[in-house]
Amino acid sequence: MKILAVCGFGVGSSMVLKMTLEKVVMELGLNADVKNTDIASAKAEEADVYFTSAELKPDIESSTSKPVYAIKRYMDKNEVLQAMNDFLAHRGEK
Amino acid sequence: MSETLFNEKNVQIIDGAHDWRDALWQASLPLIKEDAITTDYVLNMIASVEKNGPYMVLTDYFALMHARPGQGVNKLGMSLLISRKAIDLEGKPVKIFLVMAAVDNTSHLQSLQKVVSILMDPKSYQIILNANKKAIVAMFAKVKV
Repeated sequence: MKILAVCGFGVGSSMVLKMTLEKVVMELGLNADVKNTDIASAKAEEADVYFTSAELKPDIESSTSKPVYAIKRYMDKNEVLQAMNDFLAHRGEK
Repeated sequence: MSETLFNEKNVQIIDGAHDWRDALWQASLPLIKEDAITTDYVLNMIASVEKNGPYMVLTDYFALMHARPGQGVNKLGMSLLISRKAIDLEGKPVKIFLVMAAVDNTSHLQSLQKVVSILMDPKSYQIILNANKKAIVAMFAKVKV
């Protein structure tokens, strides 16, 4: 599974979101590859699921059919864990 | 021999600020003084918040302020501003402003990872919120540029 963490420039906030996602991936024992990138590259890169902010979510959704989750606090492991569990629960329903 | 990322000069403690723009300018001043960034970089950070919203507030009271790498950046730099009173950043309260200036997409990642791992530890996070400059500089002493 490929997971993308996305922010405006792909070098700061998304890096931190990636760190949080990696913790969650490890905790859940998922076989996943987490990458971080900027919004422009994210729109051209395929992934199974995208994590970003509420502000950037619509922009990514306009260029992919894959699920996009908005995270309010990139450093909040519980919030990211909840979003990931939501994704895992609904995966394959479409 | 590399120097430590944070020192007496680039860690600042203030009581409060007029608004987040004011706080961001103050936070960036040490980097402007040491020629790590130009004033353009500060304007780029402000424009980014205005365009993309306050997503850089990564957890309660902590904002990682930065703009596109390389534009208005002469060398890698970080500075820290702690405000005793929370400052509103487009709807989110912030006390810790970490300004990050990167020259490219990769050279800052190690330092950033180290700094963020320290911030993710609740005990260290509290030390920063306590706004004691000496204690903060000492805590980050292991993180090199």
